[in-house]
Amino acid sequence: MVCLAVALFVAAGVSPAAAQPAYGHLRIIAPAAPGGGWDQTARVMQQALQRAGLARTVSVENIPGAAGLIGLARFVGAEHGRGDALMASGLIMLGAIVTQRSAVTLRDVTPIARLTGEYEVLAVPSTSPFRTLDDFIRAFKARPEAMSWGGGSAGGSDQILAGLIADAVGVSPGRVNYIAFSGGGESLSAILGGQVSVGVNGLAEFAAQIEAGSVRVLAISSAERLPGLDIPTLREQGVNVELENWRSVVAPPGLSAADRRRLEAAVEAMARSAAWREALERYRWLDRYLAGDAFARFVDAEEVRVQDILRKLGTSPGAPRTLGSAGPYPLIVLSGLVLCTLAVAIGGLRAGSTRARAEWRPVGLIAAGIGLDLALAERAGFIIASAVLFWCVARAFDARHPSRDALFAAAVSAGAYLLFGRVLDLPLPAGVLAGWL
Amino acid sequence: MTNIFEALGAGFASALTLPHLGWALAGVTLGTAVGVLPGIGPALTVAVLLPVTFNLDPTSAFIMFAGIYYGAMYGGSTTSILLNTPGETGSIATAIDGHMMARQGRGAAALTTAAVGSFVAGTLATIALTFFAPLLASVALRFGPAEYFALTVLAFTAVSALLGASLVRGLLSLFLGLALGLVGIDPLTGDARFAFGIPQLLDGIDVVILVIGLFAVGETIYQAWHHGRDAIEAVTLHDFTGMSREEWRRSWKPWLRGTAIGFPLGVLPCGGTVIPTFLSYLTEKRLSDSPHRFGHGAIEGVAGPEAANNAAAAGVLVPLLTLGLPSSATAAVMLAAFQQYGLQPGPLLFSTRPDLVWTLIASLYIGNLMLLVLNLPLAGLWARVMLVPRPLLFGGILVLASLGAYTLNRSMLDLALLYVVGAIGCAMRVYDFPLVPAVLGLILGPLSEQHFRRAVAISEGDLSVFATRPLSAVLLLLAAVVLAGPFLMKRMTNMTNMNTNGEERR
Repeated sequence: MVCLAVALFVAAGVSPAAAQPAYGHLRIIAPAAPGGGWDQTARVMQQALQRAGLARTVSVENIPGAAGLIGLARFVGAEHGRGDALMASGLIMLGAIVTQRSAVTLRDVTPIARLTGEYEVLAVPSTSPFRTLDDFIRAFKARPEAMSWGGGSAGGSDQILAGLIADAVGVSPGRVNYIAFSGGGESLSAILGGQVSVGVNGLAEFAAQIEAGSVRVLAISSAERLPGLDIPTLREQGVNVELENWRSVVAPPGLSAADRRRLEAAVEAMARSAAWREALERYRWLDRYLAGDAFARFVDAEEVRVQDILRKLGTSPGAPRTLGSAGPYPLIVLSGLVLCTLAVAIGGLRAGSTRARAEWRPVGLIAAGIGLDLALAERAGFIIASAVLFWCVARAFDARHPSRDALFAAAVSAGAYLLFGRVLDLPLPAGVLAGWL
Repeated sequence: MTNIFEALGAGFASALTLPHLGWALAGVTLGTAVGVLPGIGPALTVAVLLPVTFNLDPTSAFIMFAGIYYGAMYGGSTTSILLNTPGETGSIATAIDGHMMARQGRGAAALTTAAVGSFVAGTLATIALTFFAPLLASVALRFGPAEYFALTVLAFTAVSALLGASLVRGLLSLFLGLALGLVGIDPLTGDARFAFGIPQLLDGIDVVILVIGLFAVGETIYQAWHHGRDAIEAVTLHDFTGMSREEWRRSWKPWLRGTAIGFPLGVLPCGGTVIPTFLSYLTEKRLSDSPHRFGHGAIEGVAGPEAANNAAAAGVLVPLLTLGLPSSATAAVMLAAFQQYGLQPGPLLFSTRPDLVWTLIASLYIGNLMLLVLNLPLAGLWARVMLVPRPLLFGGILVLASLGAYTLNRSMLDLALLYVVGAIGCAMRVYDFPLVPAVLGLILGPLSEQHFRRAVAISEGDLSVFATRPLSAVLLLLAAVVLAGPFLMKRMTNMTNMNTNGEERR
């Protein structure tokens, strides 16, 4: 553990302290699990901010769930008015807000800046019969449902592009046979393996395949051809669609004007830093820096567009349900559950169970510990809640050493708190001890 | 072939220096130490530890990655065995018999077979990765939704090995898991199902919550309820040193079989470690001459799944390196890490940056060896955890369980869910319901449904795809054989008994 602490300390202390950093400590929320686009954005920002000497230390916290909605809701609620927190966000969050009818939206946060963009491409494996976008569109118009489109999660940028293309060529987006895969790797393998007719994916995820010639890119969703890439745009092939999967950074609501300006200045300086430019190149992200009111207006316009196309695709509320949307599976599972419960009930619950000498006092103690833990965890803080839990459980098994148990309870809880919160950057609620720690 | 040896030799030459070995040791130590913590799975372990490597040169960084990766994969098995608290899905199968062994004082043997099995599997899998990666990757791409569905059906047959005494109780447990698996966003349409308007439920119920709740919390409440304060069975450690000759004899075949199952399934771009570990468990139980020992501390039930887990972890690197496909969250984090050093995994990687690739592969061998060096001596030490007085042990388990549940999404709802599941787990133990089918149901149910619906959507509603695609047909047939096999065998032995014993048997 000492080794770990030292190693992380070394890692954290990278920044060549040019001048006095604007921030002692800055927190970036990645509203996604490690590995995704927002997590990468947050971690690249972490490095760039530190290397550019804009903040002495920067931590990244992952709050995954529901395409960023959980992170967004937490950010708006728990970080209100805090001038030292940022969160990664983007187009996909907008899609999720629409499909899940989220009560919290991007209007509830302080916009800071759009940072990067990635264009989407339409691709087929090199063995596919479709040589050009025209070939594919002709087949799609002839029998829309026979063409399967593979891509990322439902309501995400890939499906949005599929819907926009269908709309533009005069096929109802509701007839797009879109196959949502979870995660970039899964959809990429389905496309490479020819499991779907055509694949929709981010350009960066395809980069290595394009270089190797194992996929043929039919079109790119940019307005104009990208330098150095021999890929025709949708628009030049007669499909009037343009889309970019943009990622941005936002701050909590309720900031003072000074706090907001400070964050904007830090993010702008970061976006100009050498470390950031280097990272853009490495991840093949496009520099789409856009700040202030222009960014806020951009988000509003995108929201209208996304809402419209998702409604047409049938993934947003109020759209007609397709046959496959729920399917018979939940029904099968629930009836199986009911049947088995009945069978067990008829056979007698007790049959086969070992006759136990029940003791209710220890169970009561554990229940009390659990109840107190739930009640105290966020109010009094993790250390107190866990120590109470530990003590109650220990007493349930043996009540003869209350002070020994209390000592261990305090030591284990405090140790876990420090290890997770300080060394691993996975903060736990501090509660009433916040001032002391 | 000689090219490969030369390239690998060069990789070793750049990896095998004293400072590099130091980084390898630091990597496995950190990876194991963080991987042991509950609620921190391999993906988060690697993500949290990545900044440590930012300031190293590429070679040192890759050596450290390899160590962190294998260490994180291995770390979960320690808590599984000792505390019945699997921190990630790949070590659930290990907990079944591993924890029973620990309770019988054979924790050191369980940890040793896990460590040696991981080493054997990791090394064999790395060898396979070295020589056959591109070939394997092209085969793996032939797996589409229909094949994945068939694979989940095969994995479901593992439930038959975990049913316990009563079929209907096992099935009820399975359906409970399947029903919990319904909760959350339907990934194919984006619609929320059974989420009851609670945003935290949109992503479904996390497997880790169910596993830690059923196993660790449920067990704690059960022990308190059942044994009370005085009837405390003291654990005496039978072996501080490791495995007996008999245990070695029982372990080596499961290691090899676990590797053979784990590696190819890990290579599949939608692999993961759950299916191989449970298929390995099923295989060992089916092939064993004494299947009744399973669930009561059979060492084969630890050796096989642990080997399968590590072999699958190495298999995941095949699509990652050759196609640039991250097939798990951990692989996605690794992909980002490689990109830090200008290494773009994909079809051209082996020709554009052979130096880095072969250094990385050499590092995998070294990391694996370091893991063994680190963990063999530790097995005896770790096993002493069981000597901690039980009040303190159970207090610690519950605090760690709550910590694990909370850190997953930093949500109080998860914590509450953990305790509810714990109460259910205790009730299930009291009334003799097996716990593992519920876990399998939660993991496999949604996978199986999604792949089924994807396959049917692609075929425009034609159900025959499952039979006409050869790989899918073979897998489904295999599932049928596994299910019907024991039944047919029994019939056949009964028939022969009838013939020999005449009318004595009814």
